Amino acid sequence: MEIIANLMNGFAVALDPLNLVWCFLGVFFGTVVGILPGLGPSATVALLLPLAAQMNPTGGMIMMAGIYYGAKYGGSTTSILLNVPGESASVVTCIDGFEMAKNGRAGPALGIAAISSFVAGTIGVLLLMLVAPPVAEFALRFGPPEYFALMALGLSMVVLLAGKSLIKALISMFIGLWLATIGIDMFTDGERYTFDTVELMDGVNFVVVAIGTFAIGEVLANLISTSGGQMFEVPKGVRNLMPNWQDLKDSRFAFVNGSLVGFFVGVLPGAGSTIASFVSYGIEKAVSRRPEKFGTGVVEGVAAPEAANNSETGGALVPLLTLGIPGSATTAILLAALIMWGMRPGPLLIQDYPEMFWGLVASMYIGNVMLLILNLPLVPVFAQILRLPAYVLYPLILGVSIIGVYSVDHRLFDCWLVGVFGLLGYLMRKLEYPAAPLILGLVLGDLMENAVRQSLMMSRGDVSILYSRPLAAVMLVLTVLVLVGPMFRRFEIWRLKAAEQDV
Amino acid sequence: MKTRRYAAAFSAVLAGMFLIAAPAQAFTPDRTIEFMVHSGPGAGNDVFARAVQGLLEKTKLAPQTIQVVNKTGGGGLVAMSYLNEKKAETHLLAVFTSVWFVNPQIRKKAKVTMQELTPLARLILEPAVMTVRSDSPYKTAKEFFAAAKANPGKLKQSGGSLSGRDNTTRHLLMKATGTEWQFISMKSGGERVAALLGGHVDMYIMEPAEAIEQIRAGKVRVLATLMNKRIPSMPDISTLREQGYDVPEIPQARGFVGPPGMAADVKKYYVDLFTRMHGTPEWQGFVKQNLYEDGFLTGQGLDKFVDEYTQTMRGILKEAGIKLVR
Repeated sequence: MEIIANLMNGFAVALDPLNLVWCFLGVFFGTVVGILPGLGPSATVALLLPLAAQMNPTGGMIMMAGIYYGAKYGGSTTSILLNVPGESASVVTCIDGFEMAKNGRAGPALGIAAISSFVAGTIGVLLLMLVAPPVAEFALRFGPPEYFALMALGLSMVVLLAGKSLIKALISMFIGLWLATIGIDMFTDGERYTFDTVELMDGVNFVVVAIGTFAIGEVLANLISTSGGQMFEVPKGVRNLMPNWQDLKDSRFAFVNGSLVGFFVGVLPGAGSTIASFVSYGIEKAVSRRPEKFGTGVVEGVAAPEAANNSETGGALVPLLTLGIPGSATTAILLAALIMWGMRPGPLLIQDYPEMFWGLVASMYIGNVMLLILNLPLVPVFAQILRLPAYVLYPLILGVSIIGVYSVDHRLFDCWLVGVFGLLGYLMRKLEYPAAPLILGLVLGDLMENAVRQSLMMSRGDVSILYSRPLAAVMLVLTVLVLVGPMFRRFEIWRLKAAEQDV
Repeated sequence: MKTRRYAAAFSAVLAGMFLIAAPAQAFTPDRTIEFMVHSGPGAGNDVFARAVQGLLEKTKLAPQTIQVVNKTGGGGLVAMSYLNEKKAETHLLAVFTSVWFVNPQIRKKAKVTMQELTPLARLILEPAVMTVRSDSPYKTAKEFFAAAKANPGKLKQSGGSLSGRDNTTRHLLMKATGTEWQFISMKSGGERVAALLGGHVDMYIMEPAEAIEQIRAGKVRVLATLMNKRIPSMPDISTLREQGYDVPEIPQARGFVGPPGMAADVKKYYVDLFTRMHGTPEWQGFVKQNLYEDGFLTGQGLDKFVDEYTQTMRGILKEAGIKLVR
């Protein structure tokens, strides 16, 4: 009951006309930033920090959070239409999203991404409101061994991302794991595979690899195979540009799965939405009745990662607001903003400033509705881009890719590097190596290596620390199940075939 | 590379000639001033730069707009090299932190030292405190050291990179007390605090603004402050020195530095700008709010600090067993 009273007070704050304006500006800028690849929410929120410092705390927080979750909405647009992952978390969306676009279903893909974002965004806020303190306490039980087990579980998703050949998927993943080792090693301050260049000392940027292998690889492959003209079917009529009932029905489990996974992974400091999107995609495929269709453009393959990506925002705000711990770059800037306003972020923040917290929560419900209203009408508009003939569309993809890569760190070096990864992506496509496992390896490799080395330092070299703690053990068992699952399925098929032959 | 160096030298000469030609004209910025930081958005020095930017704009001290530019890469080396290449540039300043002193000593690829650049002003010193979880058996620094002595290598501390303050302080403390414990590197500050609160490590060196809130919520206990003086907002917390451990303090300094060969009038302009900013109540409020120590220093005092701090870090790095390259 207390929650309802608090929430009502929150809505009173959030519905203040000025706060509504801040909320709208936040989600609007967020959407724009999300659509532009490379430029992320953290850079935008940082840019607005001096301005926000002069606003009142509640309005400022409402606006900055709006940018944060708004950017997640827009991230899927270029993934689906151009195969250009705008942020790390949208890589998974490319897999089925771009296939849907190829099948003439770009509209439904964009639509389901928006609806999924809305549902998950709202569930994320709901969980933030209801269970933040206990979940934050639970998340603290995750130490390095638990992170290692979580990463192992994440990496095991490779068997679900594999197409025809598991070996090829594994090779692709190992390339990703190797790429993750480039740069300064945190534990020894030594350099690995930097070839004595300053440019490689911080490792290869994830966006560069993703855009190279996905977008540029795709362009190269098609330049060589197609002769021009319009390559995508875009059906006429608004009805064909929106998801139908069947799409929504197919996605209902994905909404829930993505929302829960996204939220809980979001609460863990340093884990991030990329892992959440991969894991939710894996779960979706594992429980699906048509797993063989994944990767050919199924709607739940878009809904799950997009849901995870969006409810992650609600999760990421949990440690910030309940413990005073920032889990990501964007929440670190929000923390700085709170200090600038003279608030004291820490475990007592909600208690000290209930108006700010509940106003923020209420504004996030409103903001999600605004985003849905803002984004759904854009779907048919954006889908028209695919009507462009290949000689316009491909240069467009290349241009967007290079601008995206440059806008991450403003380095020309990355623009060359993206070309290298484009060639790699092209070769992998030709030789039928899937690119997603490479990204998976690159994203998780670093985190997993850190976790395993931290664990072994904690136990002074005793390996049993990795599996003797209960939470870690549970996740490792799940990992083994995921790894062994397909083998059983293959065995089952083989057994059935053998049985048929006997008869 | 070579042509670029010539070009830089040439432009420096040109700029020099220009200044000799027009000595009477005092410098004022005539376009956007850039504040360069060596890390991405959200990191400590990025937030610091943006806070200074906001203050200068709010108090209308800066005649032009200010833009914060993130030049990440190479653990700070990219930003340092970039500043070094922009010899005598008049509208580019960078935020320096202790990394700027450490890098030239441990990285072969570092091309420039703080002495070769143009230090303008040291603005703040960040104090630090030694914290444990509130249910930890250690009530004082002495008890912690005793436990570390009894179980060598068993206790754990979370922190950042090996050349950072957390680890260098640990080495000084281990040497002073004849003890040994583990240092566990973690990427972000969030992970490091979470590791302490979750009981995965035994000790963490925290900034006071963060610690004070955790204390208020009953989550952590502070064993000692690592500075030579008590922190005004934590009057009950004694210093390590008071507890009988003679270790040098390692202040985390932040301030602004210009490119090499900055003309005297340009340098004077920016030093004046920071001096005026330092005098505003807004700045004093900012320092107080974050529980920083006012570390304002310019001119010869700053040059002396730069030399001494370089030597201090050198000694500490050597002690910590980190390989020096120069």
